[in-house]
Amino acid sequence: MIYAFLTLWIVGALLIIRESKIIRMIIYLGIFSLISSVCFYMFGAPDVAIAEAAISVFSTVFFIVCFEKHFGLAVGVSDVTPESAENRTNLKKYIPPVVFTIFLFVLFIFFIPENPANSYLKDQYLSLFSRDVGGENSVTSIYLGYRVYDTLFEALMLLVGIVSVTHLSRYCETSVKEGKPSDINRADIAVFTIRVICPVMLLFGIYLILNGHISPGGGFQGGAAIASFFVCRYMIYDIYDIPIERIIMVEKIIYVVVVLLAVLFIFIGLHSFLPLPQSVYLITMNLLIGAKVTCGLIIIFYRFIAFERR
Amino acid sequence: MVFDIIEIFSVLMFFISFYGLITSKSIIKSVVSILLMESAVIMFFLSIGYTSGIMPPIGQNPETETVADPLPQALMITAIIIGVAVVAVNLIMLISLYRQCKAKDWDAAKKKSME
Repeated sequence: MIYAFLTLWIVGALLIIRESKIIRMIIYLGIFSLISSVCFYMFGAPDVAIAEAAISVFSTVFFIVCFEKHFGLAVGVSDVTPESAENRTNLKKYIPPVVFTIFLFVLFIFFIPENPANSYLKDQYLSLFSRDVGGENSVTSIYLGYRVYDTLFEALMLLVGIVSVTHLSRYCETSVKEGKPSDINRADIAVFTIRVICPVMLLFGIYLILNGHISPGGGFQGGAAIASFFVCRYMIYDIYDIPIERIIMVEKIIYVVVVLLAVLFIFIGLHSFLPLPQSVYLITMNLLIGAKVTCGLIIIFYRFIAFERR
Repeated sequence: MVFDIIEIFSVLMFFISFYGLITSKSIIKSVVSILLMESAVIMFFLSIGYTSGIMPPIGQNPETETVADPLPQALMITAIIIGVAVVAVNLIMLISLYRQCKAKDWDAAKKKSME
């Protein structure tokens, strides 16, 4: 079963690489993310599957928004049209990259002295996590407990990404501040469906965040689900009324609070002095990380919307 | 042979997207290839130590024989979130380049920026 899905996964990637129209490529990307999410679930990783499902929504939305505004979705990926490329296609051009790639693949598969992949720490983590960090979901316990340093730097990476997106995207202040709806044609049935689904999404995001320490889920996945609620809100009302500068400020403050909490609880060990249950730390951190991811994705999405808005 | 069969799928996928990256004329294809490459890396880390009938690592005292390794999962969740930020930055740079050069291909953009 898993081999069938992995084969489908590779076929999906080949389709994406060979495709020449943008709109079809984006649809294949969505299917590809669905297949990889199913594979993650089969590998016994429901947390990663939820994260992939929630986040691939955003990569698809970013592709659609960005390409639709600037060169349209129905055009080809390349400037060279397939018809004119047909005329000067010769097989000799394809031989060197294919040979080079196959050479690297064989080298990687057969000539590595020792496989670096192992699971030495698995038993250690699985037997100790509920005593050391608390909670019942060992994945959440690891990224908020043993590996909190990684999580802090990951949050910093997201912040750096957002800062670079806001720096690189200029937008027209006047047309954005009036909050005028744009003249995009929206189908009524799509708007109605989104109107029905949207509160469920918000509820699902809050559920994922609050139950992140005892069931699959957590701050990252729940934050992405809540941010997709805001995407739906934009699609229903089509109004740009989010105060971006204030949200950026809120996100920076949340990041500082996350770092302070992690330092207080993990590096200093506050819960050994205070009579707090350990799940308080996990829930608070999940809430803060969820708020941070929500803010970050909202900022990126609205900057894409506002980028040189017509 | 030092890899399991299930790990070879993701290694193969990595090199397929590597092929897409080195042969793509279009900048959009390069961005998408980087996305696929990252997906391959995530799949490789999750497929380490796969046995059939594997269980998610959730519960107070799971049996360690049939339970998946939680450490790569915790690291890959953060990698997925970083991936979407990477895609966003790539797209913004792509559009800035397109507004300057009016070209979607590497060759055409290079030619325009030389002038």
